[in-house]
Amino acid sequence: MAVAALTLMGCTSSGYPADPERTLDEVSGSTLRVGIVHHPPHVDATGPAPSGTEVELIEGFADRIDADVEWTVAGEEAVMTAIEEGDLHLGAGGFTTDTPWSTHAAITRSYVERAAPDGTVTEFVLAAPMGENQFLTTLEAYLDESSPEPQ
Amino acid sequence: MKKDLNFGRTELPPELQQTVRRAIRLEWFTIGYLVVTVSLIAAVMGNSQAMRAAWVEDMLALIPPIAFLVAVAIIKKPPTRRRPYGQHRAVGVGHLISAAALLVMGSLLILESAIGLVKGEHPPIGTFHLFGHTLWQGWFMIVVMLLLIPVPVILGRMKIKLAGALHDKVLYADADMLKADWRTSLGTAVGVAGVGFGLWWFDAAAAIFVGLSVVKDGVSNMSVAVTDLTDSRARTIEGNAPHPLIMAVENYARGLEWVQDAGARVRDQGHVFHTELFIVPKDGASLTLGQLQELRAGIVEMDWKLADVVVAPVATLPAEVHIGT
Repeated sequence: MAVAALTLMGCTSSGYPADPERTLDEVSGSTLRVGIVHHPPHVDATGPAPSGTEVELIEGFADRIDADVEWTVAGEEAVMTAIEEGDLHLGAGGFTTDTPWSTHAAITRSYVERAAPDGTVTEFVLAAPMGENQFLTTLEAYLDESSPEPQ
Repeated sequence: MKKDLNFGRTELPPELQQTVRRAIRLEWFTIGYLVVTVSLIAAVMGNSQAMRAAWVEDMLALIPPIAFLVAVAIIKKPPTRRRPYGQHRAVGVGHLISAAALLVMGSLLILESAIGLVKGEHPPIGTFHLFGHTLWQGWFMIVVMLLLIPVPVILGRMKIKLAGALHDKVLYADADMLKADWRTSLGTAVGVAGVGFGLWWFDAAAAIFVGLSVVKDGVSNMSVAVTDLTDSRARTIEGNAPHPLIMAVENYARGLEWVQDAGARVRDQGHVFHTELFIVPKDGASLTLGQLQELRAGIVEMDWKLADVVVAPVATLPAEVHIGT
């Protein structure tokens, strides 16, 4: 019973929480516009097609919502500004929980954490449009499922 | 046998000492409760402006109980040469500080939220991952805010009774705020629920609503604190009428056969009053020290708040004293 209630509350296809700008509706079955910053191994933008762990992660998400990905390679500021202005739906490039761009884009929960040899832990995130909470919730649910280690 | 708990030189009746002890316990409980709520809200608040406002409000709610506990500790000390009126003003100072904090923080909350509203900032509210489920964080915010509704109302009702008995305005202000706290909790929950429906501006609107309630508390407390600290006539705990003891003191003095007229200047020191009673003796009445002492003792016995009484015989009453009906 409790689990059923929780599952219901976690259900995002119901449209609650909703997107004020209808981002999830817009990209589902259509085009997901993603801005990427070259930052191997997360994003490698040097080849003819982008690759890297975050690129694969986003392609999986696009599959989930039945969308084609349109990649835009740019600098971090350009990507974040474009997300803020609604020109891009998603940003990736080895961003971390310490990103200074959290006033321009909605930063996801970290989908993975990596410990450096000196013991400092870095948590990696993606950037989504501000306040598009159905999109953000769907994305984070996907990230939780495809996370290599449980958070 | 418990140690006597007094307000400076004013000896409290035993049942009132019980009331003070109960108030101290309640204030400690309030502090504990607020520490829990502040942590709970912090754990779920995320990027919601309304939740942040509720969090700030609960942080501020810590000030009045702390002010009360500090004041009770300070005013125990009897008057000294250096502080001939006793330490009672500690209550007023605590009250003023609480009021200023409420006013400043409430204004900041409103300003921040209004700027967010004008700039069209959409609050991102993501998810928590719990027990293998990914749940919208907004649900946790709503549940926490709804859980926080009942306790403050009960605490407020308990405190308001004690505040009346002790004539303690800090406690009264504290109780008054707690009694109204459910509105801001409910407002915050509604704000977050609105965001869930895609109405992004609900969050900032709820934060402004919370900010307004904080400012309103600040303004009313500031006015009461300043009024008392600037030696206005003593008023009832609600602050809306002259204190009936003023009239009672004057009537008592007028009732004596050797008194033609009497008028009192009574100010609220915080809990206790400082009374200056002017009396005009009847023509030909011989005024003895014994009579004056009797009059003073009679007034002190009327109420525990009337320990500090000065009686001054005069030819005519000063214009500024309350001269009856």
